[in-house]
Amino acid sequence: MSSVNGAVPTTIIVAGLALAGYALLMTALNRRMNVPLLAAVGVLEILLLVEVGIIVAKLTGGQRPAALATLIGYLIATPIVPVVAAFWGLMERSRWGPAVIAVAGLVAAVLMVRLHQIWPVIHV
Amino acid sequence: MSEPAASPGPAASPGPAASPGPAASPEPAASQPDSTRTGPGRLLVAVYGLFALSASARAGVQIATKFGHAPVAYVLSAFAGVVYILATVTLTLGSPTARRIAVLSCSVELAGVLAVGTWSLADPASFPDATVWSGYGSGYGFVPLVLPVFGLLWLRRWSRRARTPGNDRGVSGRYRRSGRWRHSPW
Repeated sequence: MSSVNGAVPTTIIVAGLALAGYALLMTALNRRMNVPLLAAVGVLEILLLVEVGIIVAKLTGGQRPAALATLIGYLIATPIVPVVAAFWGLMERSRWGPAVIAVAGLVAAVLMVRLHQIWPVIHV
Repeated sequence: MSEPAASPGPAASPGPAASPGPAASPEPAASQPDSTRTGPGRLLVAVYGLFALSASARAGVQIATKFGHAPVAYVLSAFAGVVYILATVTLTLGSPTARRIAVLSCSVELAGVLAVGTWSLADPASFPDATVWSGYGSGYGFVPLVLPVFGLLWLRRWSRRARTPGNDRGVSGRYRRSGRWRHSPW
């Protein structure tokens, strides 16, 4: 069970870093936002929603972290990050649109580490 | 996804510079941003917004739940949050007045991260819990130290451009009045 729990955050970290690398490469090559990059953001968003679902299931199962308020704040903020980044990046017509997506990828990876620090039950 | 060379989607063309994107506008124009929130400013506002949210939310939770534990650290975190919010809003607005406030908040931010960073290393007893600016922002990958520098460099470029005679590509420029920006495909 614990290996299944750890699989999703690990996948998110790898996917977030890969997305950040790909987006930064687009910035370096002077590329604008395109459909493949948006699709990748969509995949990251789905993974984050799955992870939020897993954590909510733990909470409804009766388990509680010490910092419950902080955890709930993270659960609300986490799925919003890629959505806001996609909108903000799409408004940009230059190479700096993908740069915003790169930030979202890095943030997703960092959020998984922070979630583990807040509640060690969440394996990475 | 990890093989960008193999994924030239419908929007990406093989031609490196002359990509006929959906905008059909000359590519070099993209390197000339039209306001403080476009071009490199797009990235800057995104990172500032991220820190505005995280610093103020974290300070809010800490002050509400355990203020007595580390009052100095939490008040400084809240102050940092306010500075980040101010910088985010003024960089997004980009008017001449907003840019002046942005320069001020970025300067306060740089002074703050240097002062608090030094203070946290010299007197760790005052900081039982970390702030955004502790150890020069080491807990946040030193982004708090680098961010105000880039912010001030970006704003300096704008004040220079505004002073150049005949250059009206600023926020109140011809571009905005013409309404062309409304037809942006994005």
